[in-house]
Amino acid sequence: MGGLWCPGWRRVVLCGWRCGHPGSSTRVVERAEPRLRPGRSGTGGAERGLRRLGTWKRPSPAGQLAVQPPRRPKSTNPFTRAQEEDWRRRNKTVLTYVAAAAVGMLGASYAAVPLYRLYCQTTGLGGSAVAGHGSDQIENMVPVKDRIIKVTFNADVHASLQWNFRPQQTEIYVVPGETALAFYKAKNPTDKPVIGISTYNVVPFEAGQYFNKIQCFCFEEQRLNPQEEVDMPVFFYIDPEFAEDPRMVNVDLITLSYTFFEAKEGYKLPVPGYN
Amino acid sequence: MSTAMNFGSKSFQPRPPDKGSFPLDHFGECKSFKEKFMKCLRDNNFENALCRNESKEYLECRMERQLMAQEPLEKLGFGDLIDGKSETKTQV
Repeated sequence: MGGLWCPGWRRVVLCGWRCGHPGSSTRVVERAEPRLRPGRSGTGGAERGLRRLGTWKRPSPAGQLAVQPPRRPKSTNPFTRAQEEDWRRRNKTVLTYVAAAAVGMLGASYAAVPLYRLYCQTTGLGGSAVAGHGSDQIENMVPVKDRIIKVTFNADVHASLQWNFRPQQTEIYVVPGETALAFYKAKNPTDKPVIGISTYNVVPFEAGQYFNKIQCFCFEEQRLNPQEEVDMPVFFYIDPEFAEDPRMVNVDLITLSYTFFEAKEGYKLPVPGYN
Repeated sequence: MSTAMNFGSKSFQPRPPDKGSFPLDHFGECKSFKEKFMKCLRDNNFENALCRNESKEYLECRMERQLMAQEPLEKLGFGDLIDGKSETKTQV
């Protein structure tokens, strides 16, 4: 502790005086020597005060209120004092428990992220809270024949990719619950093999959750040799629940747009979902 | 495409296809089936319901040539077409 000034003669004097009066309260001592304050703060007690005599230090020039006196029991009666000490001890225990709970909550909130990821992996929900679209659903779904939806196709290419990529049909009319096939065509006009990888987007946004692709050509590297032209199919369906969603009542047009990017060698595109 | 401006709203999450990706038909083995399907679409004003037979045939071609994993046709939504092509033709 910096600033500690313990003159030897004062310590001897005080120790002698205090040792002679073990039962008296420390309050008497501090009233007699108002300018001296114990260096360490803490709960008072006659015995503890005795032990801390070596830490008496000069009062700071800033004021005598700079250092708080140690907390001492409010009563002189030894029974109530013991009870107060007991309460104090219990308060400390409760405070410790509360602090531990707060730290535990903080830790749990950090641990929740990998735990949720683990949960998704084991249950196979893959990041979406909606239950997966199993193939048995395709088997049993009934087309909603009175709701015709126009699906238009869009094709984009990133500026650095020199493919000619376009859809082979501008639109197709489907009903929810019916599987449909559509084609895109891609040509590599350069003299070098090029690897592309694509992603897709569905507008309007809310209809995108009903748009299920059974098989397509996205998210995997597709290699085109020089001067090669291929057909790229997309096999999809619109979930029959689309017809029952009140928000989709006015939706008659869905646009599916694919964008191709160039895949660099050794570059792994993050596949959507928790893999 | 979702722009960066929409900070609060949800962005589109692309989902991987259920059965993965089609291998590319480099040799054009099923090109004739595709041409039949596209012709059917153009003739029928791009209505998918009328050309489901042709799409079924295209997928069967792919499955035969190892360009697609073998799947029973019911699981691809063609359950009604397997029972006889003549029935669906009369529905049309």
